[in-house]
Amino acid sequence: MTRLALTFLLASSVAVSPLAAATANNADSQTIEYRKQWHSDVLTGYQNLATQGQALSSQAASYCQAPSPEGLEQTKQAWLEAFLAWQQVRFVDFGPVEQGNRAWQFQFWPDPKNLVARKASYLLKDEAPITPEKVSESGVAVQGFPMAEYLLYDQAFANGEEALPAGRSCKLLLAVTRHIADNGQSLANDWQGFQSNYLGSDQYTDTTIRSAMAGLEILEERRLATPMGLRGNGKRSVYSADAWRSEASLAAMGASVQGLKQSFLPAFSKLLTDRKQPDLAEQIAQQFDEVLANFPELDRPMAPLLADDNGYKLLQSLYIDITQLTSLVNDRAAVELGVVRGFNSSDGD
Amino acid sequence: MPELTRRSFIKSALTGSAAISLSGCTLLPRKAGNQSPQQYTGAIGLQDNRFAVSAIAPDGKMLWQSPVGSRCHSGCNRPNTAQVVFFERRPGWAFYVFNSESGDRLHRIEAAKGEHFVGHGVFSPDGRYLYAPVNRYEPGEGIIAVYDSHQHYRRVDTFELNGIGPHQITMHPDGQTLVVGLGGILTHPDYDRIKLNLPTMKPALLMMDRLSGDILARFQPSHHQLSTRHVDVAQDGTVYAAYQYQGPAHELPPLVARYRNGRYEEIDFGAATHRELGNYIASIVAHPENDLVAIASPIGGTALIFNSRSGKVIEKAAIPDCAGVEALAGGDFLVSSGRGKLVRMGKGKPAEEIASMPVQWDHHLV
Repeated sequence: MTRLALTFLLASSVAVSPLAAATANNADSQTIEYRKQWHSDVLTGYQNLATQGQALSSQAASYCQAPSPEGLEQTKQAWLEAFLAWQQVRFVDFGPVEQGNRAWQFQFWPDPKNLVARKASYLLKDEAPITPEKVSESGVAVQGFPMAEYLLYDQAFANGEEALPAGRSCKLLLAVTRHIADNGQSLANDWQGFQSNYLGSDQYTDTTIRSAMAGLEILEERRLATPMGLRGNGKRSVYSADAWRSEASLAAMGASVQGLKQSFLPAFSKLLTDRKQPDLAEQIAQQFDEVLANFPELDRPMAPLLADDNGYKLLQSLYIDITQLTSLVNDRAAVELGVVRGFNSSDGD
Repeated sequence: MPELTRRSFIKSALTGSAAISLSGCTLLPRKAGNQSPQQYTGAIGLQDNRFAVSAIAPDGKMLWQSPVGSRCHSGCNRPNTAQVVFFERRPGWAFYVFNSESGDRLHRIEAAKGEHFVGHGVFSPDGRYLYAPVNRYEPGEGIIAVYDSHQHYRRVDTFELNGIGPHQITMHPDGQTLVVGLGGILTHPDYDRIKLNLPTMKPALLMMDRLSGDILARFQPSHHQLSTRHVDVAQDGTVYAAYQYQGPAHELPPLVARYRNGRYEEIDFGAATHRELGNYIASIVAHPENDLVAIASPIGGTALIFNSRSGKVIEKAAIPDCAGVEALAGGDFLVSSGRGKLVRMGKGKPAEEIASMPVQWDHHLV
């Protein structure tokens, strides 16, 4: 064997006659109808996120200009509404939301090392001015809802010297909420621009279904079962949930299910019905309503429910409803449609 | 625990026993080549988020199953010994050395401070040195860490790669050259598996001298987001690289490259096949006995065999969650899946499921 001594070569390409290229390029005329509907339904969700993000940013600006306890409450409310708007479209894990890790920018989670608090502390103690550029270059833990949530809700922070409306904290809140608003707007715009590729590529039908399946699995396993102590070390802990600072973990789950119902289910039901599965489509629609019937009763803090056995029963009941929904979509419908998420396919390497 | 739901019941029923059903034959086919032991070792997922490394014998019996702390990915047999090494997945904080006959764990070697393994490694031909791709995550630098098995796997050397995100490593048949897939993707354990540098990736296929650590060649794919993750070398020295495309799903770039006779070329299977592969290849294996190469994609649920000279696809099979590929004695391939299936594929015959087990095979069998 001769030893190699080459460096920095760029690839050339050899084209090989494909086996089945003829069947490929024209998009499936049947599934394009589902994608039209999904595109439109997700766009509605993204536009809502853009609107709520803008409202949050404006409210934060008003508050920091003329701080007051009422203004703080209003800012928290605006944060919650924008955060719930994000929860509704959080399941979409493909397309423009992949660009620049936007999904992570909106919500860096899980955060077992409490990077959000560490980064906040670092930025607030630093001498450098807090600017939009600073936020853009500081990584995803700084750029989204959890950072704004930390500034608005964290109890230790609220009792400290840097609590809002302190100057640097307000600057950080303004820059972060601005970043959220800008991201929401560009996401909605880019989703519109993505339309022709989305409609023109048949594989996005499976991709869309898989994204809903993944969203349900994350909801069941990581957002609910784990804080309930049903996974991992078996300990109940609200800190394994998302949005524990704002006590919105459960409300966020409700919003995610509501979002799937609004932006995913309509075209999905139609697809199942067209594939001769009208009963299954009906069962899934009913199970969405079963899950949502836990709300608004469960629009409340999770920690007290974890601490109390009667309260815990409410979580168990939600868990069972969600497992049944996940089972219908991820097991039964997936098998009928031949869409699979696997041990390897969902955890790449 | 709340009441068992139907779904969790099915899950536990599927993963509860360790029985193996062999469909249609009583013996698994032999592996190609006679250096490696005649058994298949792989990382597996069990129920309740538990993980193990497991070996099965050619008669389909589970030889052993050895629990590990977190999910492992791939490994390598140590030449001339009854040892097999497995690496934890990204971020891999340790690798394990097992007795490949008994499954006894001989060592658990932790990554050095500030480093983690990425799931792969390879031994020098004499079985002494273990070469493991490693991410040094604070500076975001890829290196090859060298461990000496004669000194209880002490770390004895470090080779710089001048790049980010090394993944699979293999030994060239010349016995001197390491072949490394440099994925190009920057990750950090604090940030889960977020890809931190998609716009500025610089993936490459690297050749490295295993003694000096000198980089002998660096080939870049035709697009900077073609993450060059998996590699293999045929007996004649032809090197193969398999990509995972990080761009949008509707773009369908080439996914396999070949280096031989001084040329690095990408092989285009055509849009339809690229679509079936989901822009993602988890394994590539060149058969040591013939001129066939097999690849598997869990994202696309597709495995295929192509002719290494013409680049033409000659067999293709839909196998959900397939990822691992092994070359078999006689010229066929064995494909494993996250659903516990082992499927035999070969030229001119239909793909045949030869075993189904209640385990989830991670990407690679060794």
